[in-house]
Amino acid sequence: MTLTAGERARYQRHLALPEIGAAGQEKLKAARVLVVGAGGLGSPAALYLAAAGCGTLGLLDCDRVELSNLQRQVLFDSAKIGRPKAEAGGERLASLNPEIRVVAHALELKAANVCAVLADYDLVLDGSDRLSTRYLVNDACVIMQRPLVSAAIHRFEGQVMTYVPGRGPCYRCLFPEAADGVVANCAEAGVLGVLPGVLGTLQATEAIKLITGVGTPLLGRFLTYDALELSFREFRVQRRRDCAVCGETPMITEPRDQKASPPTAEPGVRRLTPQALATLLGPGAAAPPPLIDVRERWEFDTGHLPGAVNIPTSELPRRLGEIPRSGGPVFICRSGGRSLRACTMALEAGVASAANLEGGMLAWAAQIDPQMPVA
Amino acid sequence: MSCTVRIASPLHSYTAGAAAVESPGASLAEVLGDLERRFPGIRFRIIDEQERIRPHIKLFVNTDEARDLTARVHGGDTVHVICALSGG
Repeated sequence: MTLTAGERARYQRHLALPEIGAAGQEKLKAARVLVVGAGGLGSPAALYLAAAGCGTLGLLDCDRVELSNLQRQVLFDSAKIGRPKAEAGGERLASLNPEIRVVAHALELKAANVCAVLADYDLVLDGSDRLSTRYLVNDACVIMQRPLVSAAIHRFEGQVMTYVPGRGPCYRCLFPEAADGVVANCAEAGVLGVLPGVLGTLQATEAIKLITGVGTPLLGRFLTYDALELSFREFRVQRRRDCAVCGETPMITEPRDQKASPPTAEPGVRRLTPQALATLLGPGAAAPPPLIDVRERWEFDTGHLPGAVNIPTSELPRRLGEIPRSGGPVFICRSGGRSLRACTMALEAGVASAANLEGGMLAWAAQIDPQMPVA
Repeated sequence: MSCTVRIASPLHSYTAGAAAVESPGASLAEVLGDLERRFPGIRFRIIDEQERIRPHIKLFVNTDEARDLTARVHGGDTVHVICALSGG
């Protein structure tokens, strides 16, 4: 795939690198790369890959641009608020480099569509914000033999690792499984805006190295970054013979969806609808139950039910003694997932009857109090 | 001689915000036992009811992964407790 005169001018600084040169740039032009998640990680990764001349660049995201995204998602500007991320981001990439082909995938990646989407690409970058999507993408890449550069962020920390079929461990070898919600996401825990800039740029670096064949990729090497210390650490990771997807006897032979949402029932936990809780808290109620709001402090401060006590889930194990053993305490969070786990912990700690507000404060705001602000 | 234990940020609430603590343990089991005495509840976030490392947690002694709690820890070593992150 030869370069035009315009491309030679645009990529002159690459052509000046003997390690890349015209041959490497032609490989970039022929490359087909999919960026999963047009968020904090996907923004810099996609921008740099577009600028570098990645010939076909797919951008996949099912969300729309929100004001709170702009603190770190440099693919977008204020005029794009409300637009589908894949489309708005695609326009930005095409504007940055009209020489490349940009494909916008404004859809949610599922087991039913992941193979069809990946079939058009040679390399995948995962910067999604859900563990279920991370496993779906990893499994599909293993099964379809596609290299994957996976990164993730949390507060001031980041992680990145590269997987190449047959040449090292996959994401499941590193973390065999994890359900959504087991770790707080950026919306819950916060994230330093510049952090994904570092990790997303590392992903783009790995992609360019894999495409051009230069350097040493992060195979079997798990890299972590701590922005507060400004330190990188590298760990050796082995492929697991018992890995569920890339092991010797894989149990996962086709992509599958994890549970899309947190479980809605646990043994012994009472389920309380917003309407039922409103009745318990209403003017005629004899003894309103204690309310335990397990969201993070800043979420609680945005808006909470009168009388609710804030015990974030991260503090719950050492603050279980503060929960009334009787009176049927009601646990509350944003959407009902964290509070359900809190109920289970409370029951194990001897609380007589724990109830979970189903759907959390989002459901309360939707069904009972539209004025209730929910972070 | 003690080792240094670096704690994943999702678990910092147990260590009063400390990213690293010292421990005299000579094995991962002893290190985690020591952490539990000082920071109640933290061990259960790392180890499940069957005494297995939780699948979203990774333990490293220096740069090498540990797949069970029998791994030896020497003075001056660093134990890393790392958690799968979901943010993007």
